[in-house]
Amino acid sequence: VKEDAMTKKSLSRRAVLRGIGGAAVALPFLEIMADSSTARAGGGGIPKRYLVCVAGSSLGSGDVDIDETYVPSTVGFDYDLKTALAPFAGGTLPSGARYGDVKSEISVITGLRIPWAAMNGGTVPAGGRPDNHHETMVSPLLSGVRTPNGESTTCFGPTSDQIVADALGGGTLFPSLQYCVQASSYLGGGGLGSRATISYRDGGGLGAAGAAIRPQVSPRAAWEELFYNFEDPSEDPAEVARRDFDRRFRQSIIDVVRTQVDRLQTRLGRPDQIRLEQHFDEIRDLERRIAELGPEVVGACAPLPDPGADPAFGGNRAQVGDEYPYDVNNGYSNEDLRAEVLNRLIKMAFACDLTRSVSLMYSHFHSWMNVYELVGRESDLHELGHSGNTHGTRGQAEMLAWHYKHFAALVDDLRNTSEVDGTRLLDHAALVMTHEGGYGLDPSDGSVKRSHSTERMACLIAGRAGGMIQGQHVSMPGGHPAQVLVTAMRAVGIEGDRLGEVEGVVPEIFDGPST
Amino acid sequence: MIALVVVSLAGCQGIIGDPPSASGDGTPRTPAGKALVADDIPVSGARRLSRAELDNVLFDLLGSTSRLGTAHLPEDDQEREGMFLHWPFDNAYPKQTADKVLVLAFETIADAAAREVVGDEAKRASIVPCAPTGADDAACLRAFVEDFGLRAFRRPLEADEIDNFMRLHAFAVEADDFWLGVRAVLTAMLQSVDFLYRVEIGTPEPGLSDVYRLNDFEIASRMSFLLWGSAPDDALLGAARDGLLGARDGRQAEARRMLEDGRAIAQVDRFHALWLGYNQLPHSPELTTAMREETLALLRRVVFEEDRPYVDIFRSSETYVSPMLAEHYGIPTPEGDAGWVTYDDGRGGILSHGTVLAAFATGGDTSLTRRGVYVRERLMCQTIPPPPLNVNADDIPETNCKSEMMEVHQEGACGGCHRFMDPIGWGLENYDLAGRFRAHDEGKPECVIDGAGSIDGVGEFTGPAELADLLIEDGSLERCAIRQVVRYAIGREERPEDEALVDELVEARAGDGWSFLDLLVDVVASDRFVLARRDESVSE
Repeated sequence: VKEDAMTKKSLSRRAVLRGIGGAAVALPFLEIMADSSTARAGGGGIPKRYLVCVAGSSLGSGDVDIDETYVPSTVGFDYDLKTALAPFAGGTLPSGARYGDVKSEISVITGLRIPWAAMNGGTVPAGGRPDNHHETMVSPLLSGVRTPNGESTTCFGPTSDQIVADALGGGTLFPSLQYCVQASSYLGGGGLGSRATISYRDGGGLGAAGAAIRPQVSPRAAWEELFYNFEDPSEDPAEVARRDFDRRFRQSIIDVVRTQVDRLQTRLGRPDQIRLEQHFDEIRDLERRIAELGPEVVGACAPLPDPGADPAFGGNRAQVGDEYPYDVNNGYSNEDLRAEVLNRLIKMAFACDLTRSVSLMYSHFHSWMNVYELVGRESDLHELGHSGNTHGTRGQAEMLAWHYKHFAALVDDLRNTSEVDGTRLLDHAALVMTHEGGYGLDPSDGSVKRSHSTERMACLIAGRAGGMIQGQHVSMPGGHPAQVLVTAMRAVGIEGDRLGEVEGVVPEIFDGPST
Repeated sequence: MIALVVVSLAGCQGIIGDPPSASGDGTPRTPAGKALVADDIPVSGARRLSRAELDNVLFDLLGSTSRLGTAHLPEDDQEREGMFLHWPFDNAYPKQTADKVLVLAFETIADAAAREVVGDEAKRASIVPCAPTGADDAACLRAFVEDFGLRAFRRPLEADEIDNFMRLHAFAVEADDFWLGVRAVLTAMLQSVDFLYRVEIGTPEPGLSDVYRLNDFEIASRMSFLLWGSAPDDALLGAARDGLLGARDGRQAEARRMLEDGRAIAQVDRFHALWLGYNQLPHSPELTTAMREETLALLRRVVFEEDRPYVDIFRSSETYVSPMLAEHYGIPTPEGDAGWVTYDDGRGGILSHGTVLAAFATGGDTSLTRRGVYVRERLMCQTIPPPPLNVNADDIPETNCKSEMMEVHQEGACGGCHRFMDPIGWGLENYDLAGRFRAHDEGKPECVIDGAGSIDGVGEFTGPAELADLLIEDGSLERCAIRQVVRYAIGREERPEDEALVDELVEARAGDGWSFLDLLVDVVASDRFVLARRDESVSE
């Protein structure tokens, strides 16, 4: 009986699924998509979208102050664009596509700080970090929960994208998506797990390390996953039949794999059951997901063309004096193009309501990505901040501008994307760009003008969900970067104004510039 | 006899010597010949194949050379890179986590591998044990499910599993293509958890609480992944089916056979590359290849071809180099193509190889401190505490010569720890990270390197050959090598109960000149290799 069911011919998945009747097929996101013209147009029917990004860079190092390269000279609207922010005025993407001026859509929050142990008598304060840099700031930055002394490289509470996914993502095909632009650690020996992960599940409350959710680094695989469920646009019956066969083939294989999971699970001891549970759950999720029906191609929602093979890996960073000059393609895998492709996927995932929460890592924490191809400097991203005045703040500003070019292009894309009621997608979105560090005191040794600092940090925020007022420079001395995330979370409807141990929003984003 | 070494490094709180056994006097808790106690049985849990293991398995089972695991999977977590890498291996199962990206990658790999083999008539015929009479030849597909399933899951399939995979036969019938059924079965098996994880269920061991005894097929997997880094072959599975692996002599016989296979050479090379930190080299492809060949040649000669005392790896006065590599090092050049040459300077053994000398370098140069940490942690199995919080390890003192920096490091608070590390690095400093000799700092003739190194509390040395001699005389190197094998065999960070296996293996090496192959055979022959304790450290 089962074999018959598995190979049952279906002329059209949509027809078959429709024939079964809406209630019989558990497709919650259809509730939004099926009759989007009415559902979406009805006030408040348009979903909110959330995006958190990370640039694996601090703002400056060495004698050049970030006031010269980054921090606008004025607060409020119509701030000035220095080197790092220059891409807000518009520019050109690797494909040659142009994007427009988005300064009025992006706000810059400066003066932020993640507190550290030394300023609290050696005990890490709430929302703070140990005095050592790099992976110790991941948790306060993204989950708002302090990293205990001696710990690093994980989050001790759920990250904001996961909180948003839990609240908003239930009806979508992908409750959350994780992408990473930087193609590799470029270290070989280094685990992709710690430096390239910015999404963590709730491990059981504050202070409990949750499971890391690694990002997809392959734009091609991301594309395949995103548009798998879309109805075949082909008119050719043979092509439709072939696709239908492939689909049933894949589903049946996953069904067999899931059956193996079911039987193994009952045979394992309890400790192994717990450790393998996530793998088992992911297979069950995959089975559910590929059986669902994709959204209708309506309005701005349309499957994107195949982006083609991923740009080739550039190989590990090699550091042997002049044996490996920077102007060869090592430690770089055309991240410029990868960023453009992933941003287009994110835009369409939002437009089709495939997901409402995305985390996007442009560059790894402590990034070894070679920046020569991007800004012509003989360095990798991390070493830019440790080169004294050779590159220093100016070099870092140029690479921040590279990140911001892509962020700005995504903002522009969302601005130009219409919802079914004619409003802009950007009006229903909250997007935040965060950074690994600021510029100032390195509490591990008391030195100043350092990139190993969480003084004078900054965040970008865009989107007008929840009535956010954009296009401002807000100076918020002593504010916490996680407060910018809290602001975006409130904008998409998360109550409580809190992320981990960090409370409060950036008031100006809801109230306008303070006078 | 390898002495137990208890290192006391006053002034550097937290440097932990080679941990003594629990009794504190070097006596194994379970004396040889006495009954085992549960506390001496290593804890274990289900483990996923590493990227490298998956690539090996796909080659051995399907002849796939595409290295699909490396191409599609996230890197295995080797803890964190850098100075304080206590755990050098890529197979620590407690570190393994799963997420959507991983599961999709396994699906991609399974699909690609299945298409690859079914698209090749010779390959596909080699994995199907019958000649199909047509698309509807269910008996032949069933034979394939049973036969390949045994090799993929490393155990016989049960009836309900065979039925489960046979459901896919419907696609062969529908498409009128027998091989589509084979592809479907392969695609399903290669992403099944039974294939991806080594699961040990075993049977409870009477008298030892929470301890279970592995069944023969589970033992076969442990043996093959330790000795080959890959799945059991048909002969090993046959030995398991015949019930030969529960007995010590049965495992010994199989291990001896397996160690004659080329896969064992690759695995011994891989073990050393992970342990000694040369799995990734920061050199040009030509140089990297030449250096890897140099080290592999030494391992092959000492361990396999001549089965010489293992310490010869560290003491060999000869090395195998290509003319290019010899010229690079500045050592005697072989006649004609690559060949063995005799050192004529302070070099000797694997510590003189460019592979090892590149380990733990930073910023394009060697680091006195990191090399000191390397010797302490990797070669002596000590644990160096991370720098205290008020030290920025990135921020090195600004001195002209490295020797001056070393002096600064010996003063005040820094000296508490650095005197245990930097003087070791200084003894190797004449050799740069590419293995070339240098008499002074790069580009600074005034900064003379005399290379007079020392290991605090152990002795003085100059250059890699003397370092090896010192560590061998001291006894720490051999015990540490054995410990690293145990770490790799157990596949997780060390726990107190592992000490009994280390002690057992060290005791059996009493006397000079033990062989590495004998060590590996002893590991799999040990009762502790076929017993396991459930890992109850997992939180609900």
